[in-house]
Amino acid sequence: MSEAAIDINAIERELRQMWQEQATHPDAGGQAVIRALTLNLIVRAPDDGWAEQALAVAPALTAQHPNRTVIVIDRPGPATELQANAQALCTLANAGRTQVCGEQVTISARGAPAGQLASLVLPLLVPDLPVVLWAPGPQPFAQPLVQRLYRLCDRLIVDSTTFADPLRELAELAAFEQTANGAPAVSDLGWTRLTSWRELTAQFFDTRPFLPHLHRIDEIVIEYAAGNRPNPVAALLFVGWLASCLKWTPLEDAVGIEGETIQIYLRRPAVGVGPAAIRLVSVAIRPVDRAGVEGLARLALRAVDNQQAEFVVELTSDAGHACTRATIAGAHPIERTATIDRPALADLLNSELRLLSRDRTFAAALHLAGGLARRLALP
Amino acid sequence: MATPVLDNPLRAGLRIGRTPEPCTMVIFGASGDLTSRKLVPALYNLARERRLPGGFSVVGFARRDWSDDYFRDLLREAVNANSRSGPVDPELWASFAQGIQYHRGSFDEADAYTSLAERLAAIDAERGTGGNRVFYLATPPDAYPTIVAQLGAHGLAHSNGWTRIIIEKPFGHDLASAQALNAEVLSVFREDQVYRIDHYLGKETVQNILIFRFANGIFEPIWNRSHIDHVQITVAETIGVEDRGGYYDTSGALRDMIQNHLMQLLCLVAMEPPSLYDADAVRDEKVKVLRAVRPLSVNDTVRGQYGPGSANGLPVRGYREEKGVSPASQTETYVALKLFIDNWRWAGVPFYLRSGKRLPRRVSEIAIQFKAAPTMIFADTPLNDLDPNVLAIKIQPDEGISLKFSSKTPGQPQIRPVTMDFRYGASFGVTSPEAYERLLLDCMLGDGTLFTRRDEVETSWALLTPILQAWAEGPPQPFPNYEAGSWGPAAADEFIARDGRSWRRL
Ligand SMILES: NC(=O)c1ccc[n+]([C@@H]2O[C@H](COP(=O)([O-])OP(=O)(O)OC[C@H]3O[C@@H](n4cnc5c(N)ncnc54)[C@H](OP(=O)(O)O)[C@@H]3O)[C@@H](O)[C@H]2O)c1
Repeated sequence: MSEAAIDINAIERELRQMWQEQATHPDAGGQAVIRALTLNLIVRAPDDGWAEQALAVAPALTAQHPNRTVIVIDRPGPATELQANAQALCTLANAGRTQVCGEQVTISARGAPAGQLASLVLPLLVPDLPVVLWAPGPQPFAQPLVQRLYRLCDRLIVDSTTFADPLRELAELAAFEQTANGAPAVSDLGWTRLTSWRELTAQFFDTRPFLPHLHRIDEIVIEYAAGNRPNPVAALLFVGWLASCLKWTPLEDAVGIEGETIQIYLRRPAVGVGPAAIRLVSVAIRPVDRAGVEGLARLALRAVDNQQAEFVVELTSDAGHACTRATIAGAHPIERTATIDRPALADLLNSELRLLSRDRTFAAALHLAGGLARRLALP
Repeated sequence: MATPVLDNPLRAGLRIGRTPEPCTMVIFGASGDLTSRKLVPALYNLARERRLPGGFSVVGFARRDWSDDYFRDLLREAVNANSRSGPVDPELWASFAQGIQYHRGSFDEADAYTSLAERLAAIDAERGTGGNRVFYLATPPDAYPTIVAQLGAHGLAHSNGWTRIIIEKPFGHDLASAQALNAEVLSVFREDQVYRIDHYLGKETVQNILIFRFANGIFEPIWNRSHIDHVQITVAETIGVEDRGGYYDTSGALRDMIQNHLMQLLCLVAMEPPSLYDADAVRDEKVKVLRAVRPLSVNDTVRGQYGPGSANGLPVRGYREEKGVSPASQTETYVALKLFIDNWRWAGVPFYLRSGKRLPRRVSEIAIQFKAAPTMIFADTPLNDLDPNVLAIKIQPDEGISLKFSSKTPGQPQIRPVTMDFRYGASFGVTSPEAYERLLLDCMLGDGTLFTRRDEVETSWALLTPILQAWAEGPPQPFPNYEAGSWGPAAADEFIARDGRSWRRL
């Protein structure tokens, strides 16, 4: 199809018509069909596979954030190819409930210049609603379409678990986030996957008697599941998070890789001694073999000075749950089994779409992790 | 004294709230219906959503001769049957059940409390619960004073951690009994340790009333006597008295529903904005509403009792034929009443409240009816043909908010009412937690906002007790006066028609 065949007005007409049909469709069963769009989602899909994934998560996204999705399949190629189609999608109506509907427009392109794609996407956005750009796959910042669009977006979502060169791209992500400074806000689905781990870790210290130990951590060991392409980004973000919450600062020249283990040292304020005193926290991040698991597999925080204490979160052998254990010298270990989400892509996106502004906790963690990644990526 | 919020530096930016400190919940009446149907499923779901800390423990207190294992199995079955998340996840349950114990004893038996104290101390040592306790009174109401006194006598009202007590409804059956119960409870516990449950406040849509009013700028300016004609609050049930006949016959709709649930809804729609969202600031404003209610007269009430009829197409018996109910019972199963709030915001605006059993639909809603347009400029439509604007806050079952306004009919010169609907379930694809989940968690976190304070309970009883007395002293009513499955007695329709208004058709 030639590029002239894409007529924005025709797409809008098509969508309007679909709404009318929905409203009078016998399956609507007398239930009102509600068009209550809450945002625009632009997906920059590097290939058909990602476009399919984006279509596959659309119903789940619509259920929580009815939206207009514009999927751009942005394939490289010598000859320019462009076509577009639209559909409205309604989430399954529970008996007696109103249907919620969203809209999808797919623009399939090959070798099209970013400027041309952007000129198609922009008029398709519903006015006065937030715009989110989701750019899965490696090297999001190197994509001309992303470079072209991000300034117009309220949020840019990337996924560090899909990075090809994880350390280098993590450093880029951190640099981008800092420069953007909230415009757009940046989300990383790799960080979203850490939510349960952060929650379980934080919960230890909601218990008053455990809180003092948090300020005396000396040693951290993080194990992450690695296949043939180890991606330590999640573990680095986790360290970045702890360090930024607890005001630890990395010892810049003491960051290194020994075999497969990443070794990091951070300064932490010493507790109970003179104000200038500092102590070191040693962090080891290592890959382990865990079939069927992505991301973190186990983490342990230890305090050895003064009273010994250890806090462990680990996946159970079937990886369906997490076991948390707090061991304080001289007391019964306190253990429990907890659910740990292995969230689907749609859950991760939904959770980021819920945020309205810059996630400052993430920004601080990313800043620190990005610094570490930069050191580690040096030849 | 509320627990100071712990300064956990890892909490900032986490997407779920704080978890309570490890504690032990002692459930009195643990072999009863409430425990199996609501409390333990709620606790399990909290654990499942990682809202409970490691070490959290439950001790069930009742008379039956049960073992820990038997009790755990029974609760597991109860969760399987009643939890909104379906059957238990075996691994999670195993970990949760480790913290459950059964304590056999009678409420009036001193030794049972001595051994309870020992048991709690042992749990503190083994499971790190640090002396933190919640006592939950899920017992017949006449046991409340006994248990409270025994807890006091055995030094269980205070510990080296925090101690709180949750008291179920009914809280008293008139002003004097509510005051007496408060006096007994407060001779042992401080008010900030006492959490009186009204499970309506745990419903998300009820909490949403405050969000709707005070997080939106456009409604508050018209939320007053200049713009509102009247307010209707309806809580309709389709069920009869089930197997609670014996209890219900001593209570009735005014005590069972109006005094607590409908009065709470009234407070939430009518209150002034609190200066902050904090337990006492919110409850202060609610009490001010109750204090401003003009004393009620019996002439502002209508009573009803259902006779035989049908429900869901099946014949059902009348109230007087229910198990445990006196065949000559004068207990009301339906109440409608009108009240006025004498303050600057509401002077002259009637609030109509109604609640009944065996009505055609289960529905709870608050409807704000606005005044009509002052004059009609569309010649073809007389003013009295126009439906007024109504903002309906639906609490159950289809939670949401709808606004009715007039619109032009396509192609014709006519004006028709249309409804703009916001449905909670459709806009947010997640299921809401059960009321008890929210309330149990809030109590463990030390947040009393959604619980009723002493003065709230007493002020509400003070308003309604004269009606109860007048009814008791008045002539017997020609009960039954409405058919099961109808919208209540004809007298209720006449009652509101006298004011030139009508009940909303629901
Ligand atoms: N059920 C509900 O859905 C519901 C809803 C709202 C409010 N409530 C309120 O919640 C409270 C409990 O309701 P429920 O339906 O669970 O009551 P229930 O089924 O009658 O249970 C009462 C429990 O109290 C125990 N008990 C009674 N006397 C005792 C004594 N002297 N010593 C030790 N244990 C004693 C019984 O245990 P043994 O038989 O083993 O002695 C039983 O476990 C009531 O105040 C009710 O108004 C209930």
